[in-house]
Amino acid sequence: MVEYRIDRRSGVATYVQIVQQTKQALRLGVLRPGDRLPTAREVVEATAINPNTVLKAYRELEREGLVEARRGLGTFVRRSLGSVPADRSGLRARLADWLDEAHAEGLEREDMSALFRAALDEKYPEEQR
Amino acid sequence: MIPSSLVPRGPGRSVLRLHRAALWTWLSLVAATSAALLWAYGPGHESALADALRQCPDGIALCDRTSGPWIGRYDTVSALGTIGVAHLSFLVAGWAGAALVGRELENGTAHLAWTQSVSPARWLAAELAVPALFVSAGTTVLVLLHRLMRDGGRDLAWASWYEYDVFRADGPVAVAYALCGLALGALAGLVVGRALPALGVALAAQLAVVVLGNEYRPKLWPVVSVTGTGSVDVPSGAAHLHQGVITAGGARRATSVPCDFADGPNGANGVRCGAEDGASGVWATYHPESHFRPLQLVETGAVLAVAALAVAAAFLLLRRRTAAASPPAAAGRAPGSVPADGSATGASV
Amino acid sequence: MSEETAALKAVGLGLRYRRRRGHVLRDCSFRLPAGRVCALVGPNGAGKSTLLSLAAGLIRPTEGTVHVLGTGPAEARERFAYVAQDKPLPPQLTVAGTLRLGADLNRARWDAAAAGRIAYAHHAPDGDRSGSLDPGARIRSLSGGQRTRVALALAFGKRPELMLLDEPMADLDPLARRELLGALMGEAAEHGTTIVLSSHIVTELDGACDHLLLMGGGRVRLAGDPEELVAAHTLLTGPARDLTGHTVVESRGTDRQLTALVRPGGPPGDDWRTAAPSLEEVLLAHLRNPGAPDLVTEGTVNP
Repeated sequence: MVEYRIDRRSGVATYVQIVQQTKQALRLGVLRPGDRLPTAREVVEATAINPNTVLKAYRELEREGLVEARRGLGTFVRRSLGSVPADRSGLRARLADWLDEAHAEGLEREDMSALFRAALDEKYPEEQR
Repeated sequence: MIPSSLVPRGPGRSVLRLHRAALWTWLSLVAATSAALLWAYGPGHESALADALRQCPDGIALCDRTSGPWIGRYDTVSALGTIGVAHLSFLVAGWAGAALVGRELENGTAHLAWTQSVSPARWLAAELAVPALFVSAGTTVLVLLHRLMRDGGRDLAWASWYEYDVFRADGPVAVAYALCGLALGALAGLVVGRALPALGVALAAQLAVVVLGNEYRPKLWPVVSVTGTGSVDVPSGAAHLHQGVITAGGARRATSVPCDFADGPNGANGVRCGAEDGASGVWATYHPESHFRPLQLVETGAVLAVAALAVAAAFLLLRRRTAAASPPAAAGRAPGSVPADGSATGASV
Repeated sequence: MSEETAALKAVGLGLRYRRRRGHVLRDCSFRLPAGRVCALVGPNGAGKSTLLSLAAGLIRPTEGTVHVLGTGPAEARERFAYVAQDKPLPPQLTVAGTLRLGADLNRARWDAAAAGRIAYAHHAPDGDRSGSLDPGARIRSLSGGQRTRVALALAFGKRPELMLLDEPMADLDPLARRELLGALMGEAAEHGTTIVLSSHIVTELDGACDHLLLMGGGRVRLAGDPEELVAAHTLLTGPARDLTGHTVVESRGTDRQLTALVRPGGPPGDDWRTAAPSLEEVLLAHLRNPGAPDLVTEGTVNP
């Protein structure tokens, strides 16, 4: 079962945090198809956030086809997200090579992260909210 | 302690729960006073009578040297019993004002009840009904025992039936005064809203009712009036009220100045007046002992009426203060209609 | 949602005490839809407690009306719960006795399990049960926070459709606050309970509320969805000049530089730098400026 951690100071809307954390759990395989998401009551009792926020996040996930609400039973995972650990296409290995290269150029850890982030944002800008 | 069928439900049970200590105090008080009255009726009376007979072997009716250790104890206990039963209503009034209502309003537990499923009116009804039950029952028991004690102790004749405390302890007025104390106390508690001031106000109000009762008691039933030329006799055991002379014109003038009082035949009280100029006779008024019952009943009614007024005032006050159940004026109001207070302008155009 | 399903509605509501001059509450009109979690915020003395007392039917308004769950407070008595600011409880009773009192006084709809969960259950991660209550403890021996817990247990045991809670967090430590908010949100999630919580600290209710009533000086200053309320305001910074066209809540600054919180009446000029204010900034600006116009966002006004 996934547990949500809400950071009130992050500036990210609460429902977005739930959506992101659910997707993260799907990517990491913590949640698999058929798994039940915690009920709104379970989430709000643990996090003290408004129930409508949870429902909004679940609706968003449902809209993206990731979960489905079954009446009276709960909300269940429909499909998984591209699993990160599997590296069939060698993406990860090539990224490791790139990191070695960057290190050789004298880049610090933060520099590498910033560079990756900048390239990512340029190529695939984050959705406007 | 209480049979389960008698345990009230809902708000009634909450009154018992909240005032359990008062209930136990009341039951202990009734038990202790009952014990004293029973002692005075039985063993106390026997020992006192033995004391008296030792000193007056020829019979105590003709003997005035009645003293002794048991007579002293008997007098003390019976007098205290009378005072106790006669003044129970003050205890009830003070408790009702301070603890029953005043403190509940002061510490907010009344508001707590009103925001559960119990309306203020039902709360007050329970606050009055449950104590009324116990107060009436306890007082009735004590009055009956008091009568028993007095009837059994007539040979050691002490207080007369018309004395203030005896009268209030010896019949249904005792219950009426106790219930009146409860009602006045509750009203005082509601008006003042704080325990200690409510205690004072409740006691003062109850004192006023008791004083007025003592004062106007003789007027509650027609008096017996006797006239004579030189003297009249007021029968033994009667409550002698007034006396005076009859003037030459036949008018009655109340006076004690020219009158003598002496023991008449059979224990009657002889009144002799007439030395004054122009007096043609003597008159006197009294309540014979047979008036005890009608006087009790009329006073009971009067005191219960005061209690009922206090209860009505308490409910009215509560209703005015809190949001009473009535359909809100604006619930189905048509758009543009005028608020009840008439503050909207332009409605008359 | 229809007009009748407003959990709480005030029309021109006011209260004036004869002895004191002026209003404690005046001309309050707002509508709280059912199912919302509403923060009633404002400084001390703003009229929050008075508003809740009126809604609970403990006092009678001198002007206007208040509707609770579509009817008067007296008729709705069985369906709402109210916890007063000073958490009055009979000092002589035990905790268990107080809960039995709740059962006596709410015979129609008492949920002993729900009350017991609030009074006795304590979810400390390490199994520490120091925060839970001893059923045999007398109310007079409890701390402020423990009394609050018992008062809330009575409210939960009633299984109300609407909870009116006056400063429920004031006596609670941070852990207990979080626990209470969680329990309240759980209640709202499970039963659709409408919840009104008053507080003078808005941040402690952050994330929990989807409705807000800001009170100041006996008036409702702002009412509506917090996000909508914030979105209706803009922070402008720029050269000192005319702000005509905008509703100015607050403006501060020198001859040359001006910072203003406004409700924009149109696109601001190019020489203004704009920023989105935080909820707290919006609230504080209204409290600092009693003359600023009140704002009741769509859906909360009476027709």
